Amino acid sequence: MDNTVTNPIVIMLINMSIVFGVLFILNIFIRFIHFIDPTKVRKKAVPERAAAPARAAVQTASAPVVASGISGETVAAIAGALAAYGVGFSQIKAIRPAERNSWAGAARINGLRNKR
Amino acid sequence: MEIFSAFAVSLQAVWLESGFASFTIGNLMMILVGIFLLYMAIAKEYEPLLLTPIAFGCIMANFPATGFLEEPGVMQVINYGIKFEIFPPLIFLGVGAMTDFGPLLANPNTLFMGAAAQFGVFVALAGAMVLGFTAQEASAIGIIGGADGPTAIYMASKMAPNLLGAIAVAAYSYMSLVPLIQPPIMKLLTSKKEREVKMDQLRQVSHFEKMVFPVASAVLISLLLPPVAALISMLMLGNLFRESGVTERLSDTSQNALCNIVTIFLATGTGMTMNANDFLTIQTLEIIALGLVAFAGGTAAGVILGKIMCRLSGWKINPLIGSAGVSAVPMAARVSQVVGQKANPSNFLLMHAMGPNVAGVIGTAVAAGTMLAMIGPR
Repeated sequence: MDNTVTNPIVIMLINMSIVFGVLFILNIFIRFIHFIDPTKVRKKAVPERAAAPARAAVQTASAPVVASGISGETVAAIAGALAAYGVGFSQIKAIRPAERNSWAGAARINGLRNKR
Repeated sequence: MEIFSAFAVSLQAVWLESGFASFTIGNLMMILVGIFLLYMAIAKEYEPLLLTPIAFGCIMANFPATGFLEEPGVMQVINYGIKFEIFPPLIFLGVGAMTDFGPLLANPNTLFMGAAAQFGVFVALAGAMVLGFTAQEASAIGIIGGADGPTAIYMASKMAPNLLGAIAVAAYSYMSLVPLIQPPIMKLLTSKKEREVKMDQLRQVSHFEKMVFPVASAVLISLLLPPVAALISMLMLGNLFRESGVTERLSDTSQNALCNIVTIFLATGTGMTMNANDFLTIQTLEIIALGLVAFAGGTAAGVILGKIMCRLSGWKINPLIGSAGVSAVPMAARVSQVVGQKANPSNFLLMHAMGPNVAGVIGTAVAAGTMLAMIGPR
């Protein structure tokens, strides 16, 4: 017996239900992957350790924490630029490269282009 | 006199062997169509990387008496690549290597927008069946609404090889027209307040999640829908190359060299299906009209689900990102960004719209797999 469905509305309803069903299962799957992610715990620990020297720097109010790879000239240029806006050197807590992911960067560039 | 007679006979033989002897008005019209598509690709920059080889293939398809598809040679190999669905999975390998699933993993609810945008596929399917197309042809036409060229070609070559040229041209044409088709629908269905909604920064997605997702989803979807296992598996393999961090050369080749080579073959081969006999029919016009219905329906359904999710989330989701569910990566996401930024200049929706955008690629493949399983050739 040929069970092929030929009613377009029935085909539409069955297909939409299956698409939603499969993507719902995928949704659950993604949440499960995030739930079992063993690297999540370690990630929380890292910023705390990194925050310790930053706090020390604030307490001493002597010099900002400068990430490795940033030259003295760059630090001087940033401090100079901030000083022009009334921010003293002792008020700078840390100088480090911005952690922007590529999509956020692309969005900002796109935004700037659209403003022109 | 004999010399003149022999010369005339030879000349006649050369003429009869030439393409001019069997050149038809239809061929001329299709060559003009090819030239018009070339103009759109080169002068107007509408999807030039795809439209240029498609247009030139269209011109080549209308050279009579070449034997391109009958005799062994490079043209026949290209035709086999389309006929036996070799090229679409290879394109998906490149797409996977270029795609960042991070926004989708950070906000998995955007998968529903990718699913909702498939509504256009099924509206066009129903419309095509009403117009008298068979269920298989209608399903291949409907997939134009997925705005996913390789999947459209994959479906057309399996379900309706006779309509491959028209479906491929409609799919790629509408993909290139996304910035013109979508904004009016998006604005019509949303209020200014909704378009101005600013979304929170997405959470960071770990390397572990980015590694597990392609493997797990390839297994899951391929087991659920074996007809699209080739497409989904290659998409996820490409993504694994990208995310693993140890296969940079393979990722680079998949994204660039291989993808470009296969694009040349796929697009030229698609163009070569556009010969006058198959293309100059009333069906082609119907397919182009249905493709527009599919596209508009998909965009509208994505935005409407976005509006529902906006309310349910307490105005934390901008409904404009729903339109990106029609695939067309990353152009549809860019449209969401541009329309959102016009409403609120400090709005950055691009990253958020990439979630439904890549969900749309998966959704279209799932829709294709479902239709192949339900009404595909046995």
